[in-house]
Amino acid sequence: MLGYICKYAPVEVFESMGVQMERIEPDVTNFNQAEIRMHPNICSFAKGVLEEVMSSDYEGVILTTCCDSIRRLYDVLREEFPDKFIYMLDTPRITKDAGITLYEQRIRTMIEEFEKFSGKTFDEEKFCAYLKEKEEARQYDVKDNALNIGIIGARANESIKKILAENGANVAFDLTCTGLGRKILVDEKDVLTGYARGLLSQFPCMRMEQAAGRDELIRRSAGSVDGIIYHTVQFCDNYAYEYAWLKEWLDRPLLLLETDYTRQSGGQVRTRIEAFLESLTAERKKPERKRKEDGTMYVMGIDSGSTSTNAVIMDQDRKIKAFSVVRTGAKSGVSADKVLHEVLEKAGLKREDISWIVSTGYGRVSIEFADENVTEISCHGKGAHYFNPKIRTILDIGGQDSKAIRLSESGEVKDFVMNDKCAAGTGRFLEMIARTLEVSLDELGAIALTSKEKIEITSMCSVFAESEVISLIANNKEKADIADGVCHAIANKASGLLRRVGMEPEFMMTGGVAKNPGVVRAVEEKIGSKLYICEEPEIVGAAGAAIYALEKMGA
Amino acid sequence: MWIADKYIDHVKEETTAHPGKSWDQMLLGFKLNKLRTKLLPKKGISKGYQKLETMMMTFVADSLARPESYVWGNIFSPCEIMECFGLNTLSIECLSCYFSGYHLEDFFIDYAQNTGIAPTLCSYHKTFVGAIDSGSVPVPQYAVTTSLSCDGNLNTFRYLEKKKGVPFTFLDVPYRDDEASVDYLAEQLKEFTAELERRFGKSFDEEKLKNVIRIENETRKELMHFFKLQSERYYPGELISHLYMMMGMHLLIGKQEFLDLIRFMIKDIENYPKFDGKKILWVHLLPFYQETLQSYFNSNRKYQIIASDIIIDSMEEMDETKPFHALAKKIIRNLYNGSYSHRADMVGKLADTLHPDAVIQFCHWGCKQSSGGSLLLKEKLNEMDIPMLILDGDGIDRRNSHDGQIKTRLEAFLEMLENGSPAETDEDAGKNSRGQITEEEQERAC
Repeated sequence: MLGYICKYAPVEVFESMGVQMERIEPDVTNFNQAEIRMHPNICSFAKGVLEEVMSSDYEGVILTTCCDSIRRLYDVLREEFPDKFIYMLDTPRITKDAGITLYEQRIRTMIEEFEKFSGKTFDEEKFCAYLKEKEEARQYDVKDNALNIGIIGARANESIKKILAENGANVAFDLTCTGLGRKILVDEKDVLTGYARGLLSQFPCMRMEQAAGRDELIRRSAGSVDGIIYHTVQFCDNYAYEYAWLKEWLDRPLLLLETDYTRQSGGQVRTRIEAFLESLTAERKKPERKRKEDGTMYVMGIDSGSTSTNAVIMDQDRKIKAFSVVRTGAKSGVSADKVLHEVLEKAGLKREDISWIVSTGYGRVSIEFADENVTEISCHGKGAHYFNPKIRTILDIGGQDSKAIRLSESGEVKDFVMNDKCAAGTGRFLEMIARTLEVSLDELGAIALTSKEKIEITSMCSVFAESEVISLIANNKEKADIADGVCHAIANKASGLLRRVGMEPEFMMTGGVAKNPGVVRAVEEKIGSKLYICEEPEIVGAAGAAIYALEKMGA
Repeated sequence: MWIADKYIDHVKEETTAHPGKSWDQMLLGFKLNKLRTKLLPKKGISKGYQKLETMMMTFVADSLARPESYVWGNIFSPCEIMECFGLNTLSIECLSCYFSGYHLEDFFIDYAQNTGIAPTLCSYHKTFVGAIDSGSVPVPQYAVTTSLSCDGNLNTFRYLEKKKGVPFTFLDVPYRDDEASVDYLAEQLKEFTAELERRFGKSFDEEKLKNVIRIENETRKELMHFFKLQSERYYPGELISHLYMMMGMHLLIGKQEFLDLIRFMIKDIENYPKFDGKKILWVHLLPFYQETLQSYFNSNRKYQIIASDIIIDSMEEMDETKPFHALAKKIIRNLYNGSYSHRADMVGKLADTLHPDAVIQFCHWGCKQSSGGSLLLKEKLNEMDIPMLILDGDGIDRRNSHDGQIKTRLEAFLEMLENGSPAETDEDAGKNSRGQITEEEQERAC
């Protein structure tokens, strides 16, 4: 069995020789081997392939010169497996005749080398017959009465499609690397020339010169779907250019989704996709009437975040009856039970008095007593609109992630961006720094306001920033100035997110960090605008969840 | 890239507040800096490196002042062909460095990232994209790039073509080193030449190109000679001097004045004392702004960078009788093309010629093609018994270089090297690391 990764790989050549070809789809939990053999900043997909090849039994791997990371992957595999057929196929980026001629020649050389390696022989007639049997795969599948989603960008693994299917969305097309069916050209006179021409004329990936042709195809494809997921892989930079470009003119809701090919980021990927789907379906949802007969009705929203678990009880007139905030412990389920108990007590109600409970936040799926769960992005949108209908842009900085959300006039989520898998610019980051400065989290914000000297924290990475802070302490800098520097570092990150989502006033800040006056001041300075902060910024998500529950009940 | 600090701050503020309105001021700064390097050359570095700085400042300031006089390229673009049309090539890597003279790299990088460009992309490309996309810097009428040595090239130029309407020629450099590849690339170079004829309304003279290649061959030979001398004599320079040399070898190669400069340096170095410190062969980019590295490698009698693979990334003599094939072959055999073992072999060859005490590879943030093979190079050098240090950081964005970490790694490595040689204490190393040279030497040097 030979492995391959790229759509330009001449898979059929080997299959006609009776070789089993397997497209390598890494599904790994760590990059242990890659850390030893490659540099950490190599594309996550290439690292994943290395892990996969090292743990499986391929007799060889066919690579193409698709990108820098794959070129280095070849070097490492070559070194690691001198006895296997690790082959680098030089694939032209030009699809004109000169490119086709060169590619055909490269394929012929590869065949010769494989013949020597395996003792098998390539027969052009057999190959031609094999090609004729191949059927062209179906590329598009738009369904009526379904939410149609298109996927574009860097190669995506099956997990995205799985999440979409679980949420009842239909994948109408997949224009990523290996998403499209293969294009086979049969030219009986010059079989290999025709074949090479066919391979090179597939929908071009970003490494090809003719990638400009992508725009037109994307424009046409996008017209048939409700929304598009634009996928990029961490440390693969090529597709981000296209995202930046499409964002300017593509007239369809677009979600940028970065994955790293490991299973670790599954939770975040799910939140983003589900929030995106919710934003697409918001307008069509019809609430079910499930109201009890006995007068007042109460609903509950519960937001299980990484730092705090918050609950809000609301009546049918959208008045908050009671709310409660507890710290999230090691088990989100336990904190949820605790907050449920507390908030019911404050409201003087019993569990049976609550008609519908909506959970949100990272732990939303682990709350067993909830009737429904909705992502925190949609809930923050609803919550913000509830507290102040003028709000168009929300900055939410929570314990483990930060996000910017843009709302429509009616409070629907129009667009959102989240920080990447990194603690920089989150509440966790502030906690770390506060610990280093030996102050409480509350003090950190307060002392920042008394700062006299401007200090710049330059490190983007929270781990490095922490050591930068340590060296500032060593240099005898004032705590207040360091704290202020840290607040500004967070504000810089936050303003990047706000800019990416569009800076439409008015602004609101939610989440635990909104209670930090140092950060609030720094963000206001950076964006040149005031932030609206409600009395209890931690319950905005839970309040939004309660609104969802009311809508569900038809109130 | 020293310009009066206040002016730098002023231009930075103006550009950040109103991108596009401050270009005249930026340009004026470059022109003033060109004058400054002529009238008041940097002290503490050798005459050759002073002249090199002037030459590079002049080249960039003069080109930018006349937008019709240059095309954008990358450092692997065939500047030889442009020279035949009287055009300069300003590479995007080089321009990014110049913009960072105004400390604008962070603004430009953030600008690019906020439009959706990947944060993990090479910072040279991000700086450039941000500078152009924000409208801070005007654009020329044409550009050329190669697929060598990284994926960013095609994508950056294509992005700017779409957004700013700068058309470009893309040269696809094949991976394999064989005749078919050379023919394939030579054909593209011919087409590119024809394109320049059309666009600039000038006809191409092959004799000119042959002459450029003759000069180029001479220059490369002389440079190798200079490197050998630099491994024997103390020739004070700065990190940025080596970066200027890299730019010169990629943007000025084939010009008589550049050859004359190398010849001058060969003569000039004879006036300098014998070097008996540690000889460092540098691999890949040089983070010219990095404090710790500056303190150890700017005019330091104990540690001298004697050469870098990025300065002399192709080493063969070119066949001037077939100029397009010669250029194609040069690009294909460049040490950044092909497999990493090819690069490791070439770095090994350099080491064989120059006998460095150690090799330092700087892994620039976002540069997958170079960083990805660093461990393989280390293995190869291990076999040759040459110690190698891998440093991680960023060639341009200081926010990605962590000084504490670089300092610890570097100092531990230098301690390790010193342990091999007798009668040196840590205290001495600390004192000399600032690289003070005596007045007498200073006088002799200038």
